Formats: sequence, structure tokens, C-alpha cells
Amino acid sequence: MNAHIRRFGLVALPLLALMAANGRADIDWSRPLDQLGLKLPETVQIHGFASQSYLRSTANNFFGYTQNMGSLDFTEMGINGSWRPIPQLQTSLQVVYRRAGQTDNQDLRIDFGFLDYSFLSDARQTVGIRLGRVVNPYGLYNDTRDMPFTRPSILLPQSIYFDITRNTTLSSDGIQVYGEQRTDFGDFQLQVNGGYARTEDPSWKSVLNARSVSGEPSWVGRLMYEWQGGRVRLGATSATMNIRYQPEPIVLSGLIGQNFFSAFPFGLPQNVTATSLHFSPVLFSAQINEENWSLTSEYAIRYSEFEGPGSPVPTLTGESYYVQGTYRVTSDVEGFLRYDVLYADRSDRNGKKTSAIYAAQGVDVPAYDNFAKDLGVGLRWDVTPYFMLRGEYHYINGTGWISPNENRGETSQHWSLFGVSASLRF
Amino acid sequence: MTEPEFVSGQARKRVDSIRARRALAFVLVCLALGTGTAVAVDVVANPSVPDVALKRATAWAVFSMRLRTWSDGSPTTVFVLADSSPVHAEFSKTVLDTFPYQLRRAWDRLVFSGTGQAPIEVKSLAEMRDRIHATPGAVGYLPAGLLDKGVRIVRVE
Repeated sequence: MNAHIRRFGLVALPLLALMAANGRADIDWSRPLDQLGLKLPETVQIHGFASQSYLRSTANNFFGYTQNMGSLDFTEMGINGSWRPIPQLQTSLQVVYRRAGQTDNQDLRIDFGFLDYSFLSDARQTVGIRLGRVVNPYGLYNDTRDMPFTRPSILLPQSIYFDITRNTTLSSDGIQVYGEQRTDFGDFQLQVNGGYARTEDPSWKSVLNARSVSGEPSWVGRLMYEWQGGRVRLGATSATMNIRYQPEPIVLSGLIGQNFFSAFPFGLPQNVTATSLHFSPVLFSAQINEENWSLTSEYAIRYSEFEGPGSPVPTLTGESYYVQGTYRVTSDVEGFLRYDVLYADRSDRNGKKTSAIYAAQGVDVPAYDNFAKDLGVGLRWDVTPYFMLRGEYHYINGTGWISPNENRGETSQHWSLFGVSASLRF
Repeated sequence: MTEPEFVSGQARKRVDSIRARRALAFVLVCLALGTGTAVAVDVVANPSVPDVALKRATAWAVFSMRLRTWSDGSPTTVFVLADSSPVHAEFSKTVLDTFPYQLRRAWDRLVFSGTGQAPIEVKSLAEMRDRIHATPGAVGYLPAGLLDKGVRIVRVE
């Protein structure tokens, strides 16, 4: 009962805020604190967002119990502050509250918080350093994945941006060195992070069949090229995420149920003795932005290596890509169409070999757990600059990126996921 | 802008005539924009800004909030109109060779990754002019008809 009330409150709060916001066109949402009579210096900025989604699936669960009546379990709220006392120095912090069914701990977390100092900045170049919890430079959408308005759809392309381990991908605790070079033929940006991977996503334990999971020193780097104010954007990302974990001694096959080896195929669960995972994706990104349309594609190859005596699957190579077209019907309405593909093992794209290996161990892992092909289509309507509505539909073949935490029982190979969301920003 | 309490009749007339001319210019600009006629939009800065001309790539760096200093190291303060403003659209296309949604994305990428800040959004062309006038290091844009002595054109080449 209590949980029910709490859940309802969490859902109702942002929805009420959204409705209030929509009804009050006279509020200047670009300067929210001014409304409260708070005058901050212009070197201080406060921004934020709140978003509530409704997701419904024909089978399988994603971000809550989405079958049958659907689920309101996907809620995002964030507040972001920055202070730039001098041009060379900025400090930023973003605190996020997030619910996403069993894939998130439903709590407040700092998604980034760091000091940024640029040693050198002129018309041609910028060089600097960031210290603290720094966003991982990873592909086109990771840096601002918290913020619904910056995503191309309610759900990011899951083959590249696994949401069930989003904290790990989002940011790490350490240092970033960055450089920008501006030339007559475009801008180059290089960012390299070194730090400890975040591992608080609850799906890690079930994915790795681990008692405890902790982040080890890891790195991620990205080179971006932007031509004509982002008309063309090209990127290359490389990373090695190191994660240490304590495996559970034994798991009965019944408990494994639907799993997610496909997304993070870390070996046979019942006799894993590895204690370290080295996850090394290489990602290529390309985007063309014209006045009325954008075309986006990313391709990733993912190397996983397991360390430890007797590791049953010492290495595994997965592959992901998506192709996405966006069309702006008016400046307020845009639609997208996307085909998004994940293969857990690029040498076993239909998953049959992997399934047979598990079957020999007496574990039932459907072949379709090793891939996911998602055809998605959706609409975005920016009702005001500060209020956005979205609706989308995904037709999915495979269960490669769903969380075992939410899918303990039977799963289905072919399923659909429908979503609507209302989002507010300031 | 606050008005002086005691002004001679002549001064009052002069102020009124300046106001009238500005109002007329504003109306003409609005009409031109309303009918879809292209209006020349210039990058304008506070007279304290040392740079009289910027390469287009540098102008993009300044307005996309990646370059935060002028050539003498003094800080930039960037003013823009709302994304939906026709003057903003004209500025984005003709001066920066980009689109309003691309600028918004560029700012969001900075703000929501903590690596930068957004420009200051003003509500009107008059506010744009007044704030550039009043803020050292300020830069923004104005249609040709609204330029006055308080701001200086920055050539973008």
C-alpha cells in the first residue's frame, strides 16, 4: 500500500509539474529562478528536466512491468548547476532521480560533478582538463543521455546505448583531458577519460551472476570531427571498461531464466570463475544534419575478455549498429525511423551455437536471447520550447538488450514496445 | 532604460523622435520578416570587444559557446533570441550557415554534460540591443535597421 502511494506520488509529481508548466505560458522557463525572486550572477546557470513515460509491451518487460496494462515506471528528473567565475574555469554538477523498473535503483545520484580548467583557449584551439565525476565521451548520444530533449527518441538505440547499464556508460570517476582544434575545414575535438567505472546498475549482478561488482581503472576516448556547425559530424570512440566481480558459486538453471548474456555475454553462469571483465567497444559515428532532416548511424564492435582461472568463454566479440532518419515536418514536429541491430556474438548471429552450448550444460537459453533487431518509428512534438510530447513504437525481434531482473519467466522472440512521454525542461 | 526625471522640452522631443524612428524601424523589420522577406542581420558587439572581424568558424565557436574569450582574453557574453524567432533563424542561416536546432543541440550538449553553459536568451530585439549596450564583452545580432551607436558591427568573413 505504502509502495503504491509512493509510486503514485512519484509519477503524479512530474506530471502535475508538466501540466502546470504547459498551462502557464507566461512563465519564463529560461530563467526559472528569477520567478522565485532569486537573482543569480550571470556566471551561474541552473537547468533541469522532468519526464514521465508510459511504456507498454506485447511480451517481455522493459523499464517496469510493461506487459498487459503497461507501466508508468519510467520517470526521470534532473537538476543541473554550473558556475563559471572566470572564462577558463567552470564547475558543474548534475543530480538525477531516475526510475526505470528493476533496471534502476530508483534513487538520487550524481551523474556528473567536476572542475573544468582550460589552460589554453583561443580562436584556434582549446586545451584543458576536467577532474571529478566526468561524463564519458562515447558516441553521439551518451554525453547528454540523462536529458530527454537531447535524445532522438524516448528510448535510445539500445544496441549501442544499453540502458540497463547506463550508469557505467554515462560517467566515470577520474580525470578527462580534452583538446579542440578549430580549422577552416571543421572542428576537431579529442576527449580522453581515465577513471573508475561506475557499477551501481542493478542489472550487473544478474548479468554477471555476481555477488558484488566494482569498477576498476578504465579509460574511454573519442575523436569528433564537426563540419559547418555540425552539418556533418563524424566520431570514433574507443574504450576499455574494467570491472571486477565476485561470482556466485552456483546458479540453478531455473533461476537463470531469461537472461542477457546476449547483451553482455559473460560466460556460462553456473561455473563462472572469472573475476575480471575487460569490455572494449570500438564505436564509429556519423551524422548529417540538414534543415529538415538528419541521417544518423553508429556502428560498434564490442570485445569482451574474461580473466580468471577456467573462464568458460575467455573472449567474445559482439556487434551493433543502427541507421536512423529524422524528418522535421515543422520546427515543432519531427518524426524518426530507425533500424537497430545487436548481435551478442558476431560469429553466431542467430544465436543457435550459443544456445546449443548452454543446452549441453542443461541450461535453457533461447537463441533469440543473443540478438535484437528493433524497427522503431516515432513522433516528437515540442508543444512549447520547454514542454515536449513523444510517442513511439518498436517492433522487436529478439531479447538481446532486456534485463534479466525484469524477465525471470518466459520470454517471447517477437514483441512490440509502445511508448509515450511528456517532458519538461528549463 | 530609465528616463531622466527632468528633461527640457527640446530634449524630450529629440528622445521622442528617436523613439519614433526606432519604432518605425522595428515595425518595418517585423513586416519584412512577416512577409518572409530576407532582412540582413549583423553580428553586433559591445564597443569594448577588441575583435572587429571574425572568421565564420570563430563566430560559430563564439555563438556555440565553445570559445569563451575574445582575442585579448576578456570573457564573451552571448545574447540570443528564442529558437523560434525569425531574426534568430535568419542569423543562424546567413551568418553561421547552420540552423536554430543545431545551435540548440550544441548548447544542450554543453549544458547537460557539464562542459559548458548556454547563452543568455533575451525576449526582444530592444532587449538584445540594450543588454549588448550595457554589458562589456557582449555579442549578439541585430537587423540593420536597429543598429545604433551603443553597439558595433562585427564583420563575419
